[in-house]
Amino acid sequence: MEIELVEIRDFLAQRPPFDVLPEEQLNQLPKILDIRYLRRGSDFPPPESDQSYIYILRSGAVELLDEEDKLVEKLGEGGVYTTDCQLIDFGRAIRGVSTEDTLLYQLPCSHLKVLRQSEPAFDRHFSESIRDRLKQAVRTLQDNGENSSLAQMTVEVSHLLKKAPITIDTNSTIRQAAQLMSEKNVSSVMLMSGDRLAGMITDRDLRKRCVAAGLSPDEPVSAIMTTDLETVQENTLAIQALMTMTRLHVHHLPVMRNDQVVGMLSATDLARHQTTNSAFLATDVRKAETLQDLAKVSARLPELQFQLANSSATALHIGEAISSITDSLTVRLIEMAEAELGPAPVPYVWMCGGSQARGEQTSHSDQDNALLISDQMKPEHAAYFDVLAKKVTDGLNACNFVYCPGDAMASNIKWRQTLSAWRKYFNTWINKPDPMSLMLSSIFFDLRPVHGDKELFLELQSEILDKTRGNGIFTAFMAANALQHRPPLGFFRTFVLIHDGAHDDTFDIKHRGIVPITDIARVFALSQGLKPVNTTERLLAAAETSILSREMGENLVDALEFIASMRINHQAEQIRKGIQPDNYLAPDELSDLERRHLKDAFRVIQDMQETLESRYQGGRFR
Amino acid sequence: MLQRFLSQESLRKRALTKVNHGALYDYLSTPLTSKKVECEELVIVSLDLETTGLDPKRDKILSYGLVEIRHMMVKLETSRHQLIAIDEEIPEESAVIHHITDDQAATGIPIEDALPELLERLAGKVMLVHYSAIEQNFINAACKKLYGAPFVIPIIDTLVLARQLFERRNHTIQAGNLRLFNLRPRYNLPNYKAHNALSDALATAELFLAMASEMFPQPSKCQLSRFLTR
Repeated sequence: MEIELVEIRDFLAQRPPFDVLPEEQLNQLPKILDIRYLRRGSDFPPPESDQSYIYILRSGAVELLDEEDKLVEKLGEGGVYTTDCQLIDFGRAIRGVSTEDTLLYQLPCSHLKVLRQSEPAFDRHFSESIRDRLKQAVRTLQDNGENSSLAQMTVEVSHLLKKAPITIDTNSTIRQAAQLMSEKNVSSVMLMSGDRLAGMITDRDLRKRCVAAGLSPDEPVSAIMTTDLETVQENTLAIQALMTMTRLHVHHLPVMRNDQVVGMLSATDLARHQTTNSAFLATDVRKAETLQDLAKVSARLPELQFQLANSSATALHIGEAISSITDSLTVRLIEMAEAELGPAPVPYVWMCGGSQARGEQTSHSDQDNALLISDQMKPEHAAYFDVLAKKVTDGLNACNFVYCPGDAMASNIKWRQTLSAWRKYFNTWINKPDPMSLMLSSIFFDLRPVHGDKELFLELQSEILDKTRGNGIFTAFMAANALQHRPPLGFFRTFVLIHDGAHDDTFDIKHRGIVPITDIARVFALSQGLKPVNTTERLLAAAETSILSREMGENLVDALEFIASMRINHQAEQIRKGIQPDNYLAPDELSDLERRHLKDAFRVIQDMQETLESRYQGGRFR
Repeated sequence: MLQRFLSQESLRKRALTKVNHGALYDYLSTPLTSKKVECEELVIVSLDLETTGLDPKRDKILSYGLVEIRHMMVKLETSRHQLIAIDEEIPEESAVIHHITDDQAATGIPIEDALPELLERLAGKVMLVHYSAIEQNFINAACKKLYGAPFVIPIIDTLVLARQLFERRNHTIQAGNLRLFNLRPRYNLPNYKAHNALSDALATAELFLAMASEMFPQPSKCQLSRFLTR
């Protein structure tokens, strides 16, 4: 090609979808283009065209409008308009207008077809559905873990095993097992039935299930073993094993090669390998004796988030890891309070709400919690729980989980109540929904027990779900609430584009990206009476029911993962720079591709919100 | 002098009597585009020359770049860039502007081979330039020297159009205002870093589309006469 058209070639080379074209195709591309000029206020696409084209904006700006003249999309430099080639990118747009003097490149659809046929990567850009693009985007994000310290966490667990598996037959006695453990200096042993792994015991089992329970050490070891074992394969990544441990709250995982035991992975093995990981932090939390110790551990949470963000961990797993540490901190604070105050006079359960309950915390969340106390509670017990709640919430605040601005905490007497009182609260919220209850919904309709009598919680939970399941009026209110936070349309230059055509300078990724999905998932879970609290789990469970199609469910899960990863990466960058992490992304820190993927994710949310809107409009419901 | 009073078409016919064969004969045998043709139907050739200096009698053409506008669209498939070999060293003061080195020029073809193709590309079309004196006078001088007759073509000059637009708006013109690369940002046109005959021809073509749309609401329906410099 004429080297002189290099300006145009270079312009295209930087921009999707042309950036994936091989050199040779790129070099030939400028010669196929026509250039047009649209003065500000001209119709777009240009009406007097002999054939169909895709348009690439070289400079200027074009707004695309729907049939009610509402803004659907705004294209700036590098924007590509493909609708006329039967590639419907901007669904509802029916006309466009240049809002600045605009220089356009036009490429005939016929040539686009040729390029798509010859270049699979280029073709994918057009042929992939939003669904496929989002899946790809999520995969790419996870592959991007470059990192140093966490590169270590991407080793396979087989490399971390120091010893041959220590096993003993299930017919052995408890004493024999304990002797073997002492001799080998290990804290756990695997129990075999032939060459099959049948169970395991740990130091803790010897203590709790044998000595404390007064069981004779001459009993068979099978009497105290754990049989329902979670295992990992030897090629599992250390980071994934860590996540499994954190999720299950266990410290030992048998490592398998297919169905053969090859070793035992302990949290200590992982901790040795990586100093700041969640297992290590969790260990430190358990060891902490004072509030100062705990505060020191929690001060390392941002570092953990940073490291996990730089690894191949998904946003889903990072949320789980951080939340599980908050759980541990809470439990330790309660234990410390109980040690000081004595045991609780009546059964109770400490519940967490909001993002901690959903397992979606980041290292700078505030605290949401509540106390559910048995109906056996007498007036004279109130003081005990008052002090307990105060100590724990103060402790969490000292650990950087600051007081809830809305005072949704156990230290508030309103949220420190008996089962019957909570039952009344929920009755009112569900039967007479009002703005106040909807405001609280994101906290108290996302509840999880952290410490204490979990049966109490399960009783309350099943009553709540019985009331919300199939409750049309309540669902309609929740659906309306879920439409409060709308995603933006997309990005235009350094601005965030909002529906009414207004611009924002920054993008609140939490309220405009994550909250809308969380709200939608809650509507589904409550209306179907589903138990999961985690947003991804709620969506997957809802996709098994008639309320949500499987495809839409997967799209929402991918959209959430992508948006949440962007948020975590943004915060990781702030942590690296030593600034307080926040939720505000400036559009100019986003690449073209990230903008495009975010737009796809917004589109998924918009479609779902529109469906909700029409389904529950005006109190009608199915 | 006479040229001022005769129509371009008469000038073409007079010139044709002075040659009887060859590239210029073929060129002059093609009728010029009528002033009444609407822009929509025009074929406009945006042309830029790089030269060793400003004097058409003494200085040489080093390269030409061109691209056509049809239906008021720049057709990049028509773009063409040609280096021209000269039998002397390129003066340093011009090399600073066009960045053509002696080695590069040596890869070009002699003017007697380049001119026929250029004339063929221009025959029956309209020439678009920014500051017409250079292109018109250098091609004219080359035609006279090689074929013994003058070069005639309808010309649109974006510099002249720019001056008219400034005057129409009562803007005072300051030094440099009318330069190609100072005019482009006024129309939101991108900044091209490269400076060679083709990128300048392209830059001029885009500038013309922008100016035409500023001058008339429907430029494609305007007759050529509205834009002609002479």
